[in-house]
Amino acid sequence: MKKVLLILLAMVFVMPLVMTVVLSFRGENNTITLQNYSDLLFNCFIFYPMFWNSVLYAIVITLIQFLVIIPCAFGFINARFKGKNILFVFYIILMMMPLQVTILPNYIGLRDIGLINTHWSIILPAIFSPFGVVIMNQYMQGTDNSVIEAMRLETSSIIRIIIHAVIPQIRICIFATGLFVFADCWNMLEQPMLFLREDSLKTLSVFIANADKYAGNIMLPAAVIFMIPVLLLYRFFNQHLEKGLTFGELS
Amino acid sequence: MKLRIKWNVKCFLCLVPSLIGTLIFFIIPYVRVLYYSFIDNQFRRSFVGLDNYVKTLSNEYFQLALKNSLLIIIIAVPILIISALIISLALSFGIKKLRALRTVFVLPMVIPTASAALIWVGFFSGVDSAFPVYLLFIWKNIGICIILMTAAFTNIDNSIFEAARLDGANRFILHTKITVPMIMPTIIFTVLLSIVNSFRIFKESYLYYGGTNYPPNHSYTLQYYMNNNFLKLDYQSLAASAVLTSILVLVIVIGGLIVQRRYRQ
Repeated sequence: MKKVLLILLAMVFVMPLVMTVVLSFRGENNTITLQNYSDLLFNCFIFYPMFWNSVLYAIVITLIQFLVIIPCAFGFINARFKGKNILFVFYIILMMMPLQVTILPNYIGLRDIGLINTHWSIILPAIFSPFGVVIMNQYMQGTDNSVIEAMRLETSSIIRIIIHAVIPQIRICIFATGLFVFADCWNMLEQPMLFLREDSLKTLSVFIANADKYAGNIMLPAAVIFMIPVLLLYRFFNQHLEKGLTFGELS
Repeated sequence: MKLRIKWNVKCFLCLVPSLIGTLIFFIIPYVRVLYYSFIDNQFRRSFVGLDNYVKTLSNEYFQLALKNSLLIIIIAVPILIISALIISLALSFGIKKLRALRTVFVLPMVIPTASAALIWVGFFSGVDSAFPVYLLFIWKNIGICIILMTAAFTNIDNSIFEAARLDGANRFILHTKITVPMIMPTIIFTVLLSIVNSFRIFKESYLYYGGTNYPPNHSYTLQYYMNNNFLKLDYQSLAASAVLTSILVLVIVIGGLIVQRRYRQ
């Protein structure tokens, strides 16, 4: 009984997914057609630069942010200085801040450097998001410190220590964080809407939100194509999700 | 000794890139936001005290937005946490064979919001309340709660559980007295995370209502209020509402962290 209920519930959860795919092939009078797809792919050329932008932003942000968050989480664990705990609590609070609070400071910061309406306006603030730092820090607390200690006898280069002693231990967490950050960037809507003016810089998520502006029934096929990259990544990395995310006592 | 200090300095240097970024894109501009919230406009820049705050707090749309945002926290978050807890308990202790279903519940989290919202429109066309958006929020966020809760349940020492079971404790008492209290820090964390995410469902709501800046009254949340002021370039009321929202979140998060700390002792 419980089993059936759970399976039914799970089906409700996948339903919207299935429906998107099914309905994307629906033509007039409930016929099956590829018309929607050909409208999208051959009549709506703004789709391509916007798709490319989504790919570019998501990949660049996901990769570059590791250069910031791995050293940062490592620093939080190993450095000893006054105010470290308060600084970390600040990161937690910043992580919890809704976009509507952070987006205005982000905007002002970007405007002052003159980056509004460029690719960087999307990439730079996302790289410094505190989410990855907090998640990595939680994970690193459970890793084996003796490897790092042993490595310190051999080299004084902290970069080598991070590459050879830290990263191999946190691989699972890197996959989990990467999946999360990628999906988050892929879904971005507010930032491209507010930081960018030209359509040619915007993302697929903006395209879908305004799809009825461009042509007929292209919204659903666009949504299907939109889902594919994230679902593929999910397929390969989801086994790391649970082990890579350890949130318990934060501070 | 010298080596020790050198190592410490190097570790601190690791923090620097992140700190610089946070300084440039958040802290310094946030101070300016604070400043904006106390002046009358960008050009005259004369100090007006709490005027902007009074104006914002008495603005009818701000009140509506605040009420709706709080309603999500009061109604949708508890439903989310309780259903996540029940599902996690079932998957961890009841029907272990179905543990693989966890991945199904996580799917909505990684599925692009845009496509989910589209289907939601089809399901709930004609429903005139904020309910579909609540459901969308629960659907989207239950996965991460289940993942975190089942992970915490697997860390529970099985012998305690078995001992209680042998003593004849029934399932309900077992869970309410032992298992659930044991993962309390994780539950508090998921509550915190869900409250914070409830502030974030603007995207879902925006797409659900077809990309309009003025959804029906019941779904007009703080995010709409701020987004619209952003588009109007009304920096003063935007700054005031951003500061007010950040104070609200600050209080919630600090409260959560304190409760969590209490549970540890």
